[in-house]
Amino acid sequence: MFLKEYISDVVNGVSSLLKGMRKTGYYFTHPKEIITEQYPDNRATLLLSERFKGEVVMPHDANNEHTCTGCTACELACPNGTIKVVTKFEFSADGKKKKAIDTLVYRLELCTMCNLCIVACPSDAIIMVPNFEHSVFDRTKLTKVLNQPGSKIREGIE
Amino acid sequence: MFSLEGITTSVQDWLFMKFNPTMALAMECVIVILLSISLFALLGLVLVLMERKVAAQIQIRLGPNRVGPGGMFQTVADTLKLIMKEGLVPDKADKLLFNLAPFVVMMVGMLLLAPIAFAKNFQIWDINIGVLYISAVSSLSVIGILMAGWASNNKYSLLGAMRSGAQIVSYELSAGFAVLTIVVLTGSLQLSEIVKAQENGWWIFKGHIPALIAFVLYIIAVTAETNRAPFDLAEAESELTAGFHTEYSGMRFALFFLAEYINIFIVCAIGATLFFGGWMPLHIGNWEAFNHIMDYIPSSVWFMGKTFFLIFLIMWFRWTFPRLRVDQLLNLEWKYLLPISLFNLLLVAVIAILGWHF
Amino acid sequence: MNTSAILFYAIATLILGAALLAVTSLKIFRSAIWLLFSLVGIAALYFWMQVEFIAAIQIVVYVGGIVVLIIFSIFLTQQSGNKMAKPAAPKIIFSALAAILGTAFTFNLINHYGFNTLSAQPFNSSVSEIGIQMLSTTSYGFILPFEVVSMLLLAAMVGCIVIAMKPTAASIIHLNKKED
Repeated sequence: MFLKEYISDVVNGVSSLLKGMRKTGYYFTHPKEIITEQYPDNRATLLLSERFKGEVVMPHDANNEHTCTGCTACELACPNGTIKVVTKFEFSADGKKKKAIDTLVYRLELCTMCNLCIVACPSDAIIMVPNFEHSVFDRTKLTKVLNQPGSKIREGIE
Repeated sequence: MFSLEGITTSVQDWLFMKFNPTMALAMECVIVILLSISLFALLGLVLVLMERKVAAQIQIRLGPNRVGPGGMFQTVADTLKLIMKEGLVPDKADKLLFNLAPFVVMMVGMLLLAPIAFAKNFQIWDINIGVLYISAVSSLSVIGILMAGWASNNKYSLLGAMRSGAQIVSYELSAGFAVLTIVVLTGSLQLSEIVKAQENGWWIFKGHIPALIAFVLYIIAVTAETNRAPFDLAEAESELTAGFHTEYSGMRFALFFLAEYINIFIVCAIGATLFFGGWMPLHIGNWEAFNHIMDYIPSSVWFMGKTFFLIFLIMWFRWTFPRLRVDQLLNLEWKYLLPISLFNLLLVAVIAILGWHF
Repeated sequence: MNTSAILFYAIATLILGAALLAVTSLKIFRSAIWLLFSLVGIAALYFWMQVEFIAAIQIVVYVGGIVVLIIFSIFLTQQSGNKMAKPAAPKIIFSALAAILGTAFTFNLINHYGFNTLSAQPFNSSVSEIGIQMLSTTSYGFILPFEVVSMLLLAAMVGCIVIAMKPTAASIIHLNKKED
């Protein structure tokens, strides 16, 4: 019947609207729910989730050793030429010639944090870290060398 | 006890003692104009801040909190910025109408202020057709919007203005019917009479079902009339950039912005007067002691409290509901609100004749 | 001249000035706006006469209704933003003549009508009295014209709906058959 349908339409409409208003009313009366981070003020206690992708770094252990073999897989994987691997040849103790990295240049200003280099790396030498304070006064400061000076490849990584 | 009535009478007595009647009347006019302008400025600052704070809370944010304690002076800073800004006029705009439009909108707001009773015996003009005057004058605001839309010489403005025109003209009907419900119950158009009729209980309680329906209809209709979300098709940001005030900048834009908030205040003040008894304290029937205690709260506080409660209600659903499409908007009015309000008017007439209200 | 008279002349100047601008303006939208001001001025005149009800009705019907309708129809016309060409000289002369003669005729009529001055008591009519009179069935009641007008409006509305209604497929076939 037309009238019955009409009335049920109105009732349904009003009740669904009230449902929405109840939710927002709940948020209004519960300031605890506020999720705003007051960033510069809470810098000390700021918690970013581990999976936040902010910057590519190369972790070094206590002996200043990394696990990068200089295979250039990351450079090939990068869609916009952010990473440049400069390789050199090293002679190990037994006189064997071995490929290693001289510098791994990372240009932050080109990076889109797409994570492809991390996925491509066979030896997990580079990782993404949740670091987002990248603003600097000079653009050249964004071009970073990821391996620390004097670092070398860890033993047993091929 | 503190009362606004005492202040007004003493000011009037003093003026009439010092000057001749014409002079005194002119000076009273000037005082009233100054007071209403300052009320406008104050309301603009308070309501914009309130809106931003309420919106933030509802959206689980903090809102403005940098300028002054708790962001209290944010709107003052915004106003200063708007005053400093250059007011651009588009090259091929109709300059005269472009400049006139914001003032028309503001003037309508000022005219609507006249019959509102802010406190006991504190009213600019207790006109005997109060409610009719309000619905008549509020229909003028559409002219300002149409003028702005046309004069801007911009397709977004024109579309926004036309939408707004269609919207205001159609929602005026159900707003009018909702108001008529209370007029039927009271038997008078005069706002002071309407307030006086609620001495033993507000109409929303005394008029039970029809008053409640009328109240809901009124709130929906005035939200549409003031062009606010979920009915803000006139300035739908995602479609029309800013609707009729796309081309406005600086102080002219500020006037439109202010007028929007003033209109909200006015419709809420009228809603409070009609359904919640204006400045009348909460009285329940014959409970003398209770009524007497309630009388200790000043009437202006009651009025402002109710008005701000309604403003909060309107803000609440502005930040809850998504915007309607234009055909949905007109369907809502012509297929739902108007038939319901017509039926409601019939119902209330029956109730008023049979005396079924309290 | 007292304050009341000053107000009267101010309002009258507004009405006449706006009306003159409405007629002489070459932009159609501006004409509509000047017409609006003229009508608002008439409402102000009613307020000045303290017949608030009529003033409010003037605003509701003419300003809120008719002028908005005019503005909408201007919006929907093509090239309504263009400046119109100046009318030819004979047109101006004859329309001015017509206006002047009309004014003279009306003025003559009014001047010869002996207005009997009422007693100075203020004119007061409450809205409820107007309402009762409107629906009164006794003598001087307006129930018959009221109902006739409502029938007229109903007919107009039905007509609008019929014109605006989308023709259904069946009705189109029916019409085509008739034409055959």
